[in-house]
Amino acid sequence: MHAPAASDQQHPDAVRRPRARSLTQLWFVIPYLVVFFAMIVVPLGMGLWLSTTKSDLFGIEGQVGLANYSRLLRDPEFRQAMGNTFYFVLLTVPALTLIGLGLALVLNRPARWAAVLRTVFFASTVLSVTVVTLVWRIVFLPQGGLVAVILRGLGLTPIAFLDNAALAMPAIAITTIWWCIGLPMVLFLAALQQVPHDLYEAAALDKASRWRTLTHVTLPAIRGTAVLVIIIEVILQFQLFGQPQLMTLGGPNNATRPIVLFIYEAGWRQWDLGYAAAGAQVLFALIVMAALSQYFVARKRGA
Amino acid sequence: MSARQALAKLPVALVALGAALMAAPLLWVVALSLKSNEALMADPNAVFDRHFTLANYRAIVGDGQVFGWILNSLIVSLGMTAGVLVLSSLAGYGFARLKFPGRNALFVVVLLGLAVPEQAVIIGRHQMFAWAALHNTYFALIMPGMAAPFGVFLMTQFFRAIPADLDEAALLDGASHFTVFWRVLLPLTIPAQATLGIFTFLSGWNEYWWPLISATRKDMFTLTVGIASQQMNFAQTEGLGFLMAQAVFAGLPILVVYLFFQKYIVQAVAGAAGR
Amino acid sequence: MKRRVWFALLFLLSSCAPHDQRTAVVIQRFFGACEADYGQQTDLAKADGECGIMTTMINRFEAENPDVRVSQNIVFWPGYDQLTAALSSNNPPDLVTMHGSVIADYQARGLLDPLDAGLAAQGIQPSDFTAAARRAVTLGGWTWGLPIDSWTTLWHVNLGLFRKAGLVRDGHPIMPHSPAELLAQARQFKARTGKPYFVQISANEYASFARNFYTLILQQGSQPFASPTRANFNTPQAAAALQVFRDIFTADLTTKNEDYSAAIAGFMAGEGGVVLVGTWMVSDFDAAAAKPGSALSGGYAVVPFPQLFARNVSWADGHNWVMPANPARTAKQRNAAYRFLRFFAAHDYDWSRTGHLPAMRSVIQTPQWQSLPHRAELASLAVTGTPLPKGLRRQFPIETIVGQEAAAAISGAKPISQALADMDRRVNAILNNL
Repeated sequence: MHAPAASDQQHPDAVRRPRARSLTQLWFVIPYLVVFFAMIVVPLGMGLWLSTTKSDLFGIEGQVGLANYSRLLRDPEFRQAMGNTFYFVLLTVPALTLIGLGLALVLNRPARWAAVLRTVFFASTVLSVTVVTLVWRIVFLPQGGLVAVILRGLGLTPIAFLDNAALAMPAIAITTIWWCIGLPMVLFLAALQQVPHDLYEAAALDKASRWRTLTHVTLPAIRGTAVLVIIIEVILQFQLFGQPQLMTLGGPNNATRPIVLFIYEAGWRQWDLGYAAAGAQVLFALIVMAALSQYFVARKRGA
Repeated sequence: MSARQALAKLPVALVALGAALMAAPLLWVVALSLKSNEALMADPNAVFDRHFTLANYRAIVGDGQVFGWILNSLIVSLGMTAGVLVLSSLAGYGFARLKFPGRNALFVVVLLGLAVPEQAVIIGRHQMFAWAALHNTYFALIMPGMAAPFGVFLMTQFFRAIPADLDEAALLDGASHFTVFWRVLLPLTIPAQATLGIFTFLSGWNEYWWPLISATRKDMFTLTVGIASQQMNFAQTEGLGFLMAQAVFAGLPILVVYLFFQKYIVQAVAGAAGR
Repeated sequence: MKRRVWFALLFLLSSCAPHDQRTAVVIQRFFGACEADYGQQTDLAKADGECGIMTTMINRFEAENPDVRVSQNIVFWPGYDQLTAALSSNNPPDLVTMHGSVIADYQARGLLDPLDAGLAAQGIQPSDFTAAARRAVTLGGWTWGLPIDSWTTLWHVNLGLFRKAGLVRDGHPIMPHSPAELLAQARQFKARTGKPYFVQISANEYASFARNFYTLILQQGSQPFASPTRANFNTPQAAAALQVFRDIFTADLTTKNEDYSAAIAGFMAGEGGVVLVGTWMVSDFDAAAAKPGSALSGGYAVVPFPQLFARNVSWADGHNWVMPANPARTAKQRNAAYRFLRFFAAHDYDWSRTGHLPAMRSVIQTPQWQSLPHRAELASLAVTGTPLPKGLRRQFPIETIVGQEAAAAISGAKPISQALADMDRRVNAILNNL
């Protein structure tokens, strides 16, 4: 080992073993990649292969090529499930994003009461879907539920939300927003805390109104987070499953059956595993497209 | 106060109202859990009268099985959390700081993994573990959770946020990459670790489908599965109070954990987002 | 983190039990868990309710057979997802509670053991079962399960209100014998009591719609399924079946938008004359009627689904113990499992105290059973209870689809013809892709 000379900028070992270092670096990502490969890539591949077969959980009957896919596209219930899912994503993602942002803007202060309210809004996220649907099924009970009690108190007739084809999905959306608002709120809170103070000072010096500060300083500064929140929520809400399964069984009149419930019913109830696997692949493609399109739209606007 | 001042207070008032609406269903659940099943079956409005009882909670605890389920959930959640923290930190450092062949392509693949729905992989996983005869083990319950790409995504962002001169100084001093990772950068990401840890623990604790079909033996039931199994056919009618008590019982530990760690969460996500 | 790993290992090690010499029988069942109340109970006379009686029976079996240990995997009803998962990962339980309507699915894949030989060795013959129970477990001439009960939808009647409506004769409720009579009596009921005739479960529910639909089709002498692989809903009989309830709905002679809990609570609070729910509610309603001052204190009666058309039949299903196939099962384990089955066959009376109909002929004939509240009126179901064709698979998802479409037709969301067409298409899509 020689003492580094003034002109020696490189690491002493650099010249000796460049390729070895590159390979050693791989070891940082290899453990995760092994698990990723085993738990995501391989099962996904198996699912893809299954989708070209006629099979159930106990064995494969034979190859059918793309027949499952063409059957899916011709299946009115699958098309309705896709429509229901898109509708649900439209109902929840903008609401989750905007309400999350609003809450973060209001609660982004050191006051004690703000901390308490932040906890209240995050508390629902820690519950499991079984608990949440139990609670909200009771809340929506047409006779004795919380909503009915409130409506009666206001002098209105209670509505059977979950039993009404037009209102059931919005009811599930409300339940989901109640359940999931914590994550967007926290992400936005963090982003707001990152905004450099000098930006606000400059705006104050310019005598900018609160509204102008909001729209010209704050919002642009947290654009990255907004895109992140939208992408993550799109990915999450496309996979709606537990709420309609437990609250409405996909009804009434198939109005609340999302794609994942369709897949579950096809695979686990109807024992048509190949068909279910095809549905899962279609869902994957839809999610990728939806999430990626958000990303590209954001990049275009930003540039 | 002037109209302007009142208007300024409006958002806060709205949020406070929102908080009341948020909390109301939870309070409803707690109230129902303190009523007897018979009273609720005969009259759903019994929730408003003054009779309370701890019988439902006694029934849950008196069984004894519930502690076994909590233990299983604990082992699975902690194992998953530990695994995710280790793997995601290492991989995050690798993707953020190191240049190796195929790095960018691999990162994109991992990100695509975020979009993979559980239904697309659950059957494949079930069959893989069945071939390996590994069902009804903690290993089977923990492994799938460790593959979640969210952790790698988060940690990569965090490491990228740290200025590179810290590394370079250490590297110049002769440190290996692992030392830089372990001694220099990792301590700076404790808040991120806390956040990732909490979210991973949460998702492990509340998981239902995978434990349902993998841990079919009763001694391997996790809390979610165990609690569901206790419900008789028409639990909503004949055992409403008990059902609500189960809900409180299952949700309370997580709420406590959250309250304890909440300052880290808010503090920690700072840095990952808002770039 | 290291500490956590050691901690976890310690717990893992400590959970290893000392070696148990007893033969293990692993069962998977639903019916809930009530260890807190019945964990140690072995006195069958003191047990109540499905959960209580099942738990007590298993405790008693273990007490009487000290060389057998029963390991219970209690699952959330109906538990078929876990069963499928367990079977496909080669961890089959020894005995499983299974509905008669589901046996065909597992039997068709060769996943069940036929029980004839084993039951015969324990002295049980298929001729010991009631006709309804025997139909439920017999497929291809073999017996695929030990039936423990039959159950069906019953008409539970609030006698007090019926009396007020002038629909009681000699202490028994007057039941209609045609759809026209049903409408007329329902209108009379509403006119005289001001309340709806039916208390129906219609929210978040499909099973009851499907079951009523099947019953009414069968009563017309028609078959909802032309064969185990072909559904046949585009028939005038199917339309007539839906029309009965549609007319009731449009004439406002039934409660609306009530889910299971609301309907039960509503009936017990005197909301209507008849609630359509299963055999399992008999003891609960009976107990409610015994309470002074309750809305049922004017009297409670229960009858099988009245004959509204040509034939006197009622759709029925039943609970059975089935034995999943397991080549690794030892002779000792098999013997223990069959002793378990014999115990249940011998104590069928105790299980029937839940309100379900006994599966054993001998029990139906005993005065002991007949003196249980209201049972005498239900005895005919042992003969008239009819399941769907035995070879019909996927009955559970089919029931959901049929129920969804029937509900849509009855509530007016779709015209009846459209609902039947959709029902036919969707069910045959499943049956064509078995």
